[in-house]
Amino acid sequence: MRRRLFIFSFLVAPVTLYLVYVIAPYAQAFYIAMTNWRGVNAAPQFIGLENFGRLLGDGVFWKAVGHNALLLALLPVITIALALVFAYLLNVGGAGGRTGVWGSKFYRVLFFFPQVLAVTIVAVLFQQVFRPDDSGMLNAPLMALGLKPVGFLSNPSIALWSVMAVLIWQAVGFYVVLFSAGLASIPREMFEAAQIDGAGRMSMFFRVTLPLLRDTVQVAWVYLGIIAMDAFAIVWVMTDQHGGPDRSTTVMAAEIYRNAFQYFQFGYASALGVVMFFFVLGFAVLSLRLSRRERIEF
Amino acid sequence: MSVSRRELLRAAALIPAAGALAACATPVQQTPATQAAGAKKALEVWIFDGGFGHQYATDIHQPLFKSKFPDVEVKHNFTKEITKVLQPRFAGGNPPDVIDNSGANAMDFGALAQDGQLLDLGPLLEMPSWDDESVKVKDTVDPAVINFGTFDGKFFVLGYVNYIFGVWYSQKAFTDNGWAAPKTWDDFIALCETIKKSGKMAPFTYAGKHPQYLYEILLTMAAKIGGNDVLVNIDNLEDGAWKAPAMLEAATRWAEVGAKYLMEGTAGLDHVQTQTAQNKYEVAMLPSGSWLENEQKSTTPPDFAYGMFPVPDVTGSDKLPYGTLHTQPGENFIVPAKAANTQGGVDYLRAMLSKKAAGDFSKMVATVSVVKGAGEGLELSPGVKSASAAVAAAGSNTVFYRWQSWYAQLKDEAIAATGQLMTGGVTPEKYLERIQAKAEEIKKDSSIKKFKR
Amino acid sequence: MSRKHHLGPLNVLMHIALAVWALLIIVPLVWTFLASVKSEDEIFSDAWSLPATLRWDNFARAWEQAHIGQYMLNSVIVVFFGVLGTMLLGSMAAYVLARYPFRGNRAIYLLFVSGLAFPIYLALTPLFFVVQNMGTIPVIGPYIGLNTHAGLILVYIAYSMPFTVFFLAAFFRTLPTAVAEAALVDGASHTRIFFQIMLPMARPGIVSITIFNVLGQWNQYQKPLVLLQDRDKWVLTQGIADISTAAGYDQDWSALFAALTLAILPMLIVYTIFQRQIQSGLTAGALK
Repeated sequence: MRRRLFIFSFLVAPVTLYLVYVIAPYAQAFYIAMTNWRGVNAAPQFIGLENFGRLLGDGVFWKAVGHNALLLALLPVITIALALVFAYLLNVGGAGGRTGVWGSKFYRVLFFFPQVLAVTIVAVLFQQVFRPDDSGMLNAPLMALGLKPVGFLSNPSIALWSVMAVLIWQAVGFYVVLFSAGLASIPREMFEAAQIDGAGRMSMFFRVTLPLLRDTVQVAWVYLGIIAMDAFAIVWVMTDQHGGPDRSTTVMAAEIYRNAFQYFQFGYASALGVVMFFFVLGFAVLSLRLSRRERIEF
Repeated sequence: MSVSRRELLRAAALIPAAGALAACATPVQQTPATQAAGAKKALEVWIFDGGFGHQYATDIHQPLFKSKFPDVEVKHNFTKEITKVLQPRFAGGNPPDVIDNSGANAMDFGALAQDGQLLDLGPLLEMPSWDDESVKVKDTVDPAVINFGTFDGKFFVLGYVNYIFGVWYSQKAFTDNGWAAPKTWDDFIALCETIKKSGKMAPFTYAGKHPQYLYEILLTMAAKIGGNDVLVNIDNLEDGAWKAPAMLEAATRWAEVGAKYLMEGTAGLDHVQTQTAQNKYEVAMLPSGSWLENEQKSTTPPDFAYGMFPVPDVTGSDKLPYGTLHTQPGENFIVPAKAANTQGGVDYLRAMLSKKAAGDFSKMVATVSVVKGAGEGLELSPGVKSASAAVAAAGSNTVFYRWQSWYAQLKDEAIAATGQLMTGGVTPEKYLERIQAKAEEIKKDSSIKKFKR
Repeated sequence: MSRKHHLGPLNVLMHIALAVWALLIIVPLVWTFLASVKSEDEIFSDAWSLPATLRWDNFARAWEQAHIGQYMLNSVIVVFFGVLGTMLLGSMAAYVLARYPFRGNRAIYLLFVSGLAFPIYLALTPLFFVVQNMGTIPVIGPYIGLNTHAGLILVYIAYSMPFTVFFLAAFFRTLPTAVAEAALVDGASHTRIFFQIMLPMARPGIVSITIFNVLGQWNQYQKPLVLLQDRDKWVLTQGIADISTAAGYDQDWSALFAALTLAILPMLIVYTIFQRQIQSGLTAGALK
């Protein structure tokens, strides 16, 4: 009895808050997805699954899905690879494989910096960095060298890569810290043993470090995957025409937002949101499933 | 602002009781509490804080309004994010009383009109004007305002400013270099060549991040070549309207400018950056509207002297004469139908349309208002003078289009495609096909309300 | 093969890689700081030129006109109480869900975790109505409705639950059970065990999730934009976004850079001061 009362008393506040502020609005959104609500009237009209039929033929939305898929394929891999290498260098990359390289304390502090900046700030900052003329941080030196300025955000075939670069720029530092933590927990003896076996730093990285960081890398992959499937703030604030030029950088979240707040098609936007919800959920479930199976094989 | 932790926890603990009440997240139809007749009413005003700022409302309109309605408490607000801030209030049934629904984040008029959210301002037009009991409001404003603010036969939207579109340049730069505003397209191209060869500045630019600045002049040119029907057909989503020969002609001409005469980096620059480049004499000409001079006032050199010229003659057999202008009422004021104080809202608009209010406004923000004769006797800046002269010269040869405020999706497609046209990503034919396809998609989409003009 | 302290090609490569990444982080930040003391003209001309005179008045404008000080204070208040509430309620829920099997446990856990997959934009409008309705509750309504920091704090707490519960539940599961069981036998109440035994044991996990939540709530933009319409209630991200749009109209780019600097610097300073604790906290929390 005491136990029951305890369970109830500990759960009642968080669950109630969560139901009222999170579940109720989303339940409403799932309902709105089956209406033609335009956001301003009080009585949405129920239209069943019509919105879902319509989104199947929505070229822009599927283009956005494609961009998310590309981000999902590359962002976690690149970020994790960079972070692993940096973490390795900062922790065991030094002479003798027992300490970090020279200056690693400084680097570790510095690399985390982008993580503490608000995403909107990062977006505005890089808008200036990417300016297409000689007032741009990157183009000024290019033009000084007599090269043509690069349309980092204005060239449709480059813009998405600029978006990805910014996402990576911001994310890497956090995973350096995460992986450093993982490395710190690996017993020193393992490195020493490998070294006695004559392993170089390269082979030590692949034979000792990587396998032992498996679990942490796994977590990182799921987090980064969720970031890749969102990417809203950077795209919306940084790119031209909110996902342009010519929709070359748009992502699912941006299309949801556009349909809701610019086209005033809240019903349709909610339907897009429901689809995105299942994509993200599917990704998360799949990654967790895959990892479990691999572990059994081991 | 102080919330102690205890207060916070107490509030959290009380929520279960309230939860049943609040768990249903549906919009509530609130009956405005301020409805009590005769009592002191509040008037909630939201101004779009854009190129004109919001001071004109607090310094000019609200004092004038209060002079006749001293009992009404005016609640002044301003924002750049009209939609985010006000859309939930519409859905919640308690919108404010007056809204300047303008800017990039304005609410979709089509959606508002479709849902009956806008007060019919027809009666306002029939009311006696603020200045003179014997004159009706409708006789004091530019007729284009009424035309433009009418959706399905009802006058919903009061445009307050008369936007005049054209190609803008520095009179000083032109005089110093011996350049002249071109009258024909050949002159224009020759001028571009001259400027390019002079090496002093780039010939032409536009707000590359916002290609609607460019399709504006492209459409105006098409109307000049093929007549007003080109734009009417586009507005009415007629089959093949975008692929009209005049449209192809105009698109081809501008694609040439895009390929040869643009300032470096144009595609990635926004309106402020390109306009500032012009102020620094880095580029000679750009298409814009009559708000430009005010918008640029902080970076314009004192002797810059803005000037504006209309779309040049293109084919020699253009349907509309030289001087044809695109004019369009802007700064769109609405009174929500479900506002608490609609009568106050209408009176506020009536005050805005008085000669004094409009005149002071014109002076404060250096622009042309829609109130007839409000600019009389005012000392005009070079740009406003130039634009006003162009309007006088145009006479009845003015054109406009409305599709972009009716169909937001079509606007986005046109923006994206125009950017591609100017950077050589699509041919003029493909460009028009692309927008036409979107127009047809919208025409078929039963969920989007259609409008006619 | 012996390894000496000489600089081999690999070593050089490593240092180059680290230095390049460090530059990639430092340069945009320094460039922003530099632009914040430039004049409008200098910003629009050569990107790398040094300012002729240091224009500190840009900061004065950003501070006064854009009310950065007020917004920052608001952010601090909201994030402080938001994170406090999140950690308290989140750790309570996570603890019970991790350590006390009961019917419905799994369902509640999944309900919390599924929140990770929701796109927030969908909830914005319905959320507005929820908060609006909260404002109509007698007595406490005026404190937790629209345009109140307490209302926003409650929203922050609720939306931080999925991540917090997910992470902390995993953490509580890894803690040894012996101490708690012994205490229970000694007659300690469940509540007391939680606050006096389990919470201190879970400290590393709590620290790292606190950091996540501070960063997450500090960076919120959409929710305050919809829920706080009064300017004097605004949080920092709203102020920055406002200046950023304003820069497009008023052409005050130098003030934008000054505002960015004002927004970035405190975070960098706080982080640098606490980086040791933060990193050790993260280290402890990230590892099961």
